[in-house]
Amino acid sequence: MIRYIIRRLLISIPLLLVASFLSFLIVGSIGDPLADLKAKPGMTPEKVHDIAVSMGLDKPLIARYFDWLGNFFKGDWGNSIALGQAGADVYTSVMQALWITARLVVGAEILAIIIGVAVGVLAAVKQYSIFDYLATSAAFLMFSMPVFCVAVVLKTYGIRFNNVLTSMGMDRWISTVSPASGGFQGSFGEVIFKYTGTYILPTITLMLISFAAYSRFQRASMLETLNSDYVRTARAKGLSQRRVVFRHAFRNAMIPVTTLFSLNAAALFAGAIITENVFGWHGMGQLLVASVRGRDPYMLMGWLMVTASLVILFNLVADIMYGILDPRIRLG
Amino acid sequence: MSIKRSTATPLAVLFVGAALVLQACGGSSDNGGGDAGTPTNGPGGVAAGEAKGEVNKSEYTAPKVPLSNDTFTVATDNPFTTYNNQTADGNNSYNTFALTQVLAGAYLLDGNNNVLLNKDVMDSVEVTNKAPFTVTWKIKPNVKWSDGAAWGCHDFYLDWLSQAGLAKNGGKPAFSAASTTGYELINKVECTDPNTVVTTFTDPYPDYKGLFGVSSDVLPAHIVEQQTGVADITKVKPTDSADIKKVADFWNTKWNGFDAKLMPASGPFKITGFEQNNSVTLERNDAFVGNKAGPAKIVLRGVSDQVAQAQALENGELDVTSSAQPDANAADRLRNLSSQGVVFGAKAGLSFEHLDLNYKNKLFQDPAVRKAFMQCVNREALVEKLIRPIQPDAKPLGSLLFFQGENGYVDNYAQYTGKADEAKATLTGAGWAPGGDGIMTKGGQKLSFKISHTDIPRRKQTVELIQSNCKAAGIDVKDDTDPNFLDTRVSAGDYDVALFAWSAAPFKSGTQAIYSTGAGQNWSAYSDPKVDQFFKDAVKSTDPAAANQLYAQADKQLAEDNYSLPLFNPPNMWSYKGIDSVYFQSYNGALWNANEWVKQG
Amino acid sequence: MANPISGNPLQPSSSPGVALDPEAGERISEFDATKARKQSTLILRRFFRHKLAVASLIVFLLIVIFGFLGPFFWSVSVDDATGGRYETPSGAHPLGTTQIGKDMLAQLIRGTRLSVQIAIVVALGSTFVGVVVGAVAGYLRGFIDSALMRLVDLLLVIPQIAVAAILIRAFQGSWYTVALILAAFGWMQVARISRGETLSLSAREFIEASRASGAGTPWIVFRHLIPNMIGSITVNATLAVATAVLAEAALSFIGLGVQPPDTSLGLIVSENYSQVEERPWLFWGPFVIIVLLSLAVNFIGDGLRDAFDPRQTKVRA
Repeated sequence: MIRYIIRRLLISIPLLLVASFLSFLIVGSIGDPLADLKAKPGMTPEKVHDIAVSMGLDKPLIARYFDWLGNFFKGDWGNSIALGQAGADVYTSVMQALWITARLVVGAEILAIIIGVAVGVLAAVKQYSIFDYLATSAAFLMFSMPVFCVAVVLKTYGIRFNNVLTSMGMDRWISTVSPASGGFQGSFGEVIFKYTGTYILPTITLMLISFAAYSRFQRASMLETLNSDYVRTARAKGLSQRRVVFRHAFRNAMIPVTTLFSLNAAALFAGAIITENVFGWHGMGQLLVASVRGRDPYMLMGWLMVTASLVILFNLVADIMYGILDPRIRLG
Repeated sequence: MSIKRSTATPLAVLFVGAALVLQACGGSSDNGGGDAGTPTNGPGGVAAGEAKGEVNKSEYTAPKVPLSNDTFTVATDNPFTTYNNQTADGNNSYNTFALTQVLAGAYLLDGNNNVLLNKDVMDSVEVTNKAPFTVTWKIKPNVKWSDGAAWGCHDFYLDWLSQAGLAKNGGKPAFSAASTTGYELINKVECTDPNTVVTTFTDPYPDYKGLFGVSSDVLPAHIVEQQTGVADITKVKPTDSADIKKVADFWNTKWNGFDAKLMPASGPFKITGFEQNNSVTLERNDAFVGNKAGPAKIVLRGVSDQVAQAQALENGELDVTSSAQPDANAADRLRNLSSQGVVFGAKAGLSFEHLDLNYKNKLFQDPAVRKAFMQCVNREALVEKLIRPIQPDAKPLGSLLFFQGENGYVDNYAQYTGKADEAKATLTGAGWAPGGDGIMTKGGQKLSFKISHTDIPRRKQTVELIQSNCKAAGIDVKDDTDPNFLDTRVSAGDYDVALFAWSAAPFKSGTQAIYSTGAGQNWSAYSDPKVDQFFKDAVKSTDPAAANQLYAQADKQLAEDNYSLPLFNPPNMWSYKGIDSVYFQSYNGALWNANEWVKQG
Repeated sequence: MANPISGNPLQPSSSPGVALDPEAGERISEFDATKARKQSTLILRRFFRHKLAVASLIVFLLIVIFGFLGPFFWSVSVDDATGGRYETPSGAHPLGTTQIGKDMLAQLIRGTRLSVQIAIVVALGSTFVGVVVGAVAGYLRGFIDSALMRLVDLLLVIPQIAVAAILIRAFQGSWYTVALILAAFGWMQVARISRGETLSLSAREFIEASRASGAGTPWIVFRHLIPNMIGSITVNATLAVATAVLAEAALSFIGLGVQPPDTSLGLIVSENYSQVEERPWLFWGPFVIIVLLSLAVNFIGDGLRDAFDPRQTKVRA
């Protein structure tokens, strides 16, 4: 197992390397980060050129790539060169953003898996019941809705819910923007109150989107296993419905879901980008949007490298879980 | 609206050096006092935009306000990035929004851009010699940084050293300063005693009040000395390359990020927390020399979506919203919250949008075409649809050189009301005739051209409105959105019609470069000997009234030439709840008077 | 945004292990015109039995008609901005006007058309590239296979929405640049699926026979492999339409999608989402069309899947 993981990780190094080159080309197409500077009064072309030289922007793209790569391996991810960013350190910025996003995404994903799988199993066991139809329609609806619409509607109702709370003489609970710096203060109860209030809306948004995928997937694969020969055999042996569902079908039906977990990584990030922007969280999503707007090449490179590594990691985790769930697959 | 509204407009970086726009547009929108939608009288009993501690619109002393334990959370478009807002890569107005309360300067601005001498830290500032032009700055004794070090002449000296552009390193400026305006004219700064600064200029610089505080912050020189090992900053000459390198290396980068030890305060608040891309926390500076600030704590956060700002205010997560990138939907929402005690305000900002017709394009050498184009642009509709939803009393701008409400302002473009028929008549009178597709043609030349601009939503909407209206006059207007337009193309004169904003010019003399024949920023090859002469005379004039008269004549002649069409001033907007008096200072944002805030209700 | 229902290699119907009906495959490969027609009639008949899919097809067609033929029935010009700001719905403007006074209905018609165009270009483009890459890789195997599959791995590692945002910022967002960029980074899943199917098809006699009779790679790929994968190709292309509609909307929301003067449903929704309470008519129009469009396409995809692969009907309701 360990050897397998190590080998997989080794294989992903050249992949990341090529990905970094490709990313650099893509990022290089984005244009001149100093464009706005040139439109500033009193800014002469010589001054702009000096600044460009000091940032290394005068060199050809390939040379800049190897400079970047060399520094990257040394642990220096470079600095922001977008205007007004005061040369923010890329590593710190990306890691800080990642930490914020991770707090948001992990909870949402766990909830989505638990609820999605539960709903999927129930819908499959009670196929064609009202519950099944409701779950199916809900999932299809969630698939077909732009993420930000879900977020926006939740936000509107969050504020109304708070108004109801205050009219009942209680504190406002749900937040519409991310927490300010400094964390939560107060008694344990207050901290929990504020913490949940802050996380609830973005978490529900992200959860609803992933939930749709998990429930549909779980239902389909559960139905397949329920109709398979060995489950029929188990039934024929006279095992109880519960035993059949949980001991025999459920475990096998989980296998495809683990793959969805890895495939979902990219979708999750995409969802997080939108959700963060609606709720003003300064995570990976806002960092991406701000860096694209500021034409900030090194920040974008840091961003892409971190997400690329995460996608690879997700795939690895999924494969390992696959091996654990399906005894026929041997990792090695 | 969506996040795309929040692109940093070039205006955001244009603010440096615009220091003393003051005279140019002081009270531009509040003169009449009747701003609908703007609180004309703060509940605190002061007029809109006036500070409580202000005397005669010329001096300021921090007033005594009840000290409270209140925390106020304030949102603005972009987050704070650096303590040293003078570097080329750090400079942006959103840093000033926080630093205005942290770093004291010789002068400060009130909400109406009156320049006030900061009497908490200064005794006097006087011009002590005309030739060479010399200004003497007298600092009050016992002014201290929050870490206990003295605030005084050496801090002024560092300000000059870093921004005069004299200090070189390998032939290049050692300090990567965002701007050298004003400081480059000072050839000598002397500390005759720790509290007296004598600055000698190479040329007269009437805007000296903008130095050491308004257009740039006075940073702590003692920190630089401690960190670089330079014993006395005032002994470092721009030519001392070894010391300059040490100081410059520190100045250029070491104030980025956050380290409370390196970032003391000389103003009413000090920085106590910073979360990158999110927020900066200010707490009352108990070592402040003047009356202490009222609020105990202020959190300034970046929330880029204005509608999100409005919702957060509604939801009680914010006490103040402020935006230099106003959004009509957010304004609507905030106005609707007035029943909940939310006060909304909007005021014309410091830049104006305009359309320049490029004389290099043969089409625009035809006066009839220029006139017809101006006739078909419905400025009233532009203001009605784009500006009034935010600032209900906004009017189209009718001058290229004067702001509305300013002495000398005349609406020179009042005759252009966006009537397509008039434009059509002008064209047919000059021999143009509609072709098969309804587009005017003359001698095989179609009347079709592009309006070039950067990708700001408001500009796109402006072009869409113009397109729609000019089509009826047989003028085919094409949209040319180019994020890099202001980068290379505008200064190369690569456009038919350019749509962009000039930020308020410090002096009208600066506009000579825009409208004189062959001048540096006259990118459209516009030329009128009469205009040239007015500018020449005006710039030389020593009598402000006479100069004003000449500028007014130049303005009128510009209008007659139909070269450039002024459209409007994009406004700033703000809102608040539960505080007595908040106002958006065009340069310094909502916090300019935060030390005076008192909680209400 | 990656829509996990679509383009998923683990989707039971399209996984490599489950080939198409062997008989059907062989019949087509023999190019017996009458029998092939029979096969397609059979599929069509199965599809039309699927009520939800048929209803969805009708909805989809109505939306397409609305977008493409709308201008013939609604004469207000999409560029006409002479109306008042945010007028309430009336006879002259059934859906009111926008902030700058353009007729909302005209905007909606144009937006629908461009969104459908984007979605179809993305679906066709990504499917074509994906199928060709997948079929070539699966058929030739060896070096070319591993090279192409590493390319797929590579592109899958970089999040599509980020790359699209960067490239759209770089190349300006007219509707076709957005479409081409989304297609260029959206074909990899299809390639994986097609490769899997090709691997199992290549082992079959009719391919070997064709190869033995001297047919070249392009011939085999385009005349034998692709026609035999038509089921999964159609299903995935359909689902790609839904994915593209949502991806475009997401990009427009962060301001990095289609740029004015072009418009799209995503752009209209993101411009008007803050009006949901005050002027709901501005929001619900484009919103409902987006949801209907992607719902309909998802159901059509489902119906097609069932029609092509009847064994799955039991599993998928």
